[in-house]
Amino acid sequence: MTRSWRARLFAALLTAFAAHTAFAGHEQSSSEFEVFVAGEALAGAGQPHPRSDDAWFNADVIFGLTHDQFRVFGEFYVVPGEHDLQRFQVGYELVPETLLWLGRFQQPASAWNTEHHHGRYLQTAITRPSIEDWEDEEGFLPQHIAGALIESRHQLGSDGVLMSGGIGAAPALSSDRYQPVTLVDNNPGRHGRALAAQIAYLPEYVGTSSAGLLWARDQLFVRDPIALASLHSNHATLTIYGAYADWGVEPWRFIGAGYYVDVDLDNPTRDESFVSGYVQAERQLAHRLTAFARIEDSSRMQESRYVALFKDHSGDIDITARRIAAGLRWDYARRQALSCEFSHVVSLQQRRAYELRLQWSAAVP
Amino acid sequence: MNLFLVLLLGTATPAFAAEELVLIVSAGSSIDELDSTAVRKLFLGLTVQRSGRRLHPLLNESDAELKEIFLQNIVSMSDSTYDRYVLQLSLQQGHTQPLVYRSNAQLISGVAADPAAVSYAWRKDVEHDGRIRVLRVVWHD
Repeated sequence: MTRSWRARLFAALLTAFAAHTAFAGHEQSSSEFEVFVAGEALAGAGQPHPRSDDAWFNADVIFGLTHDQFRVFGEFYVVPGEHDLQRFQVGYELVPETLLWLGRFQQPASAWNTEHHHGRYLQTAITRPSIEDWEDEEGFLPQHIAGALIESRHQLGSDGVLMSGGIGAAPALSSDRYQPVTLVDNNPGRHGRALAAQIAYLPEYVGTSSAGLLWARDQLFVRDPIALASLHSNHATLTIYGAYADWGVEPWRFIGAGYYVDVDLDNPTRDESFVSGYVQAERQLAHRLTAFARIEDSSRMQESRYVALFKDHSGDIDITARRIAAGLRWDYARRQALSCEFSHVVSLQQRRAYELRLQWSAAVP
Repeated sequence: MNLFLVLLLGTATPAFAAEELVLIVSAGSSIDELDSTAVRKLFLGLTVQRSGRRLHPLLNESDAELKEIFLQNIVSMSDSTYDRYVLQLSLQQGHTQPLVYRSNAQLISGVAADPAAVSYAWRKDVEHDGRIRVLRVVWHD
């Protein structure tokens, strides 16, 4: 019944937003409909099974409507065997470039996800850094909040400042994953308070570079006995401090982020923390080719009982502790790209793996 | 000899030498000026208002050379960087991307019909069209 209701909602949204051109000429109204699709092949040695983020096909459907100061925006993500309304937000533009949103949104304290979201076409590399993995793809930081989000962009001469702040319901915590609030299904478990913020400096108000600070605090309530037994705590408070830079000097682009994560459990003697970060360099070459390389590393994640909670209990998939990746992307046609990426991965269990990925990605239309 | 040199120089001049790229609005539009920062913001998908109305950017892709000049002189980005930027902005804040016109006639009709529309075109294509008003020159040879 739930699936049927979801399907009808999705069909209604598609019908409403697919009429792109019909809205286009309407005064003060405009709409957006975009589908990011990708197909991936993975081969390698050492990693027993593909990760959830390595589905052979995925599609990210974006729909939006702007009417005067009002906005509606949604993101529906589809992989084989699973689909989910990742974001659904209703917004009002208080003043130009200051928006107040209500709904389910991506927490703004993730440097990678606020830039790339689910759309594979938008990221140059095929893989995302392990610390930025989604909650339902072995990610161990909360990525979605249901509540209110304010986003504001201010011009300071030719420079600018971008600020985002979100407050709302955090995910519940089960034995191997988070359960963020879903807008179209039941929400079992108790949801604590989530706060997240980002402040970024823009060297050019309308440019592509930015650097900033990230902060989030999530109150997480444990909702199943396995997680309770692992943590010996029915509650955890996650505080994330981060800094990032996404700097472009054509033909170069550098993306880097570092996170310090403090895990506060009920028993103060068992508090723990870990650090994770990455640096990615990209260079545009002739013939619409882009070369890229990324290094990810972490500290104290191996000792973290909290991170261990997110291990796949079947042992099929390991959490990545360190990775070196390099590859090439070819934008061979408008909004279509072919990419290959080779990576060397060291897991939390110190298992080593070599992975080769090939990907086709596109944005339609 | 002098006549030969004049003819030679004339032949060597590129075909678009006398061209001007101009910023255009509807003849009935109340927009009276848009500086280069506002134009760049507009075509990068950010909100630009005049007289309380949100302006609508229309992309003119009726010829490749015009698009190249737009990328260099208005948004100052390469083709792929610009494309990914507007896609990212639509994902981040629900901004709608500029509408694309690949026919000059349709673009002019689109601008003429919408008092909040802003676009750009070769001067020769719009200067005799009473439905269109030229705001200023964006680029000239």
